[in-house]
Amino acid sequence: MAFNYDKYLRLEKMPTLWCWGCGDGVILKAFVRAIAKLGINQDDVCVVSGIGCSGRFSSYVDFNTVHTTHGRTVAFATGIKLVHPDKYVICVAGDGDALAIGGNHTIHGCRRNIDITMIIINNFIYGLTNSQTSPTTPQGMWTVSQKAGNIDPTFDTCNLAIASGASFVARESMLDPKKLEKVFVKALEHRGFACLDILSNCHINLGRKNKMASAMENLEWIDSITIPKKKYDELSAEEQLNKFPTGILKEDKEAAEYCDLYKEIIKVHQGQRKAISQDDFAKKI
Amino acid sequence: MGSAMIDYPGNVPVWVNTNNCKACDICVSVCPSGVLGMRYDSSSTLGAMISIDHPEACIGCNECELTCPDFAIYVADKKEYKFAKLTDEAKERQAAIVANNYMSLDQQGVK
Repeated sequence: MAFNYDKYLRLEKMPTLWCWGCGDGVILKAFVRAIAKLGINQDDVCVVSGIGCSGRFSSYVDFNTVHTTHGRTVAFATGIKLVHPDKYVICVAGDGDALAIGGNHTIHGCRRNIDITMIIINNFIYGLTNSQTSPTTPQGMWTVSQKAGNIDPTFDTCNLAIASGASFVARESMLDPKKLEKVFVKALEHRGFACLDILSNCHINLGRKNKMASAMENLEWIDSITIPKKKYDELSAEEQLNKFPTGILKEDKEAAEYCDLYKEIIKVHQGQRKAISQDDFAKKI
Repeated sequence: MGSAMIDYPGNVPVWVNTNNCKACDICVSVCPSGVLGMRYDSSSTLGAMISIDHPEACIGCNECELTCPDFAIYVADKKEYKFAKLTDEAKERQAAIVANNYMSLDQQGVK
């Protein structure tokens, strides 16, 4: 019997609102399979999503879900995680949601290394509002806000997360759902901030204006700009330009997790220990 | 409410919930052995619907099920159905279907 997703879905909302061939559906399926593989109880999962096409993610899955304001997924998730440190908290945000309006929250979530799994669905455009330039839109592409061609340099999501201090950083594309499932399993098992840059297609609002109007043409383009990390490292700096390495780019199991540190604060206020000093940090508390 | 998945109808390698299918062509493009194809359907939003033309050639690789964004297509387990091996004829048929704009070979023109 094929894998049955019914248990994990809000079936009254099916079929999904996304366009035909949208990568969000593939990512949702891989995420559900990862949860099933780990055998996590549905009540122990909280999915927090923001605004954008990816915001619909939380409407379709039958977990605890919060559909929050634009860009504030990490802020809401931090609160949820601190109150329920034993639950799995997952943020789902688009590239505009996580890197533009919510860029501030994202980098500070990474800095705190709080145990949240952040799935950034990166489709290189503001899809829901009809093709405005996002922080990841490649230079030279046509968008409605830059009709003469986009001149803005782009963000590299993974480098941003690594520099900000996230302890697990990975990039995958929706072209390989099996790998996607594996990376979700690893990210959910990881204790610390897991930032996943999942490349997805938007052939409707990015593709139609940029000569890749069908899902397959858009996916071929994504395939052409992604290289496994091992091969990427062997390339010269010139060849690396405009290409993205895929796979797990950083995994640090030793980094202190924010909920653990917060427990020490609670102990201080309960009179169980002295206030935390700089010496404590030298000894890792 | 109903379900996204239709129960295994028995004795088929692959089956489809046509209520969920949006005719995006992805499953047709990832199939290695030319099992699937699109067929004109005036009742569908995009004017086409998935059809299973050569179930006997299915190798059970699961690619179509994994890459379907809309919970529409399902593949049987290896225990439930005896899958075929990948043949050159199947590969050629797949190449012809891709060249035919993901339409089944008896369907002419552009979607």
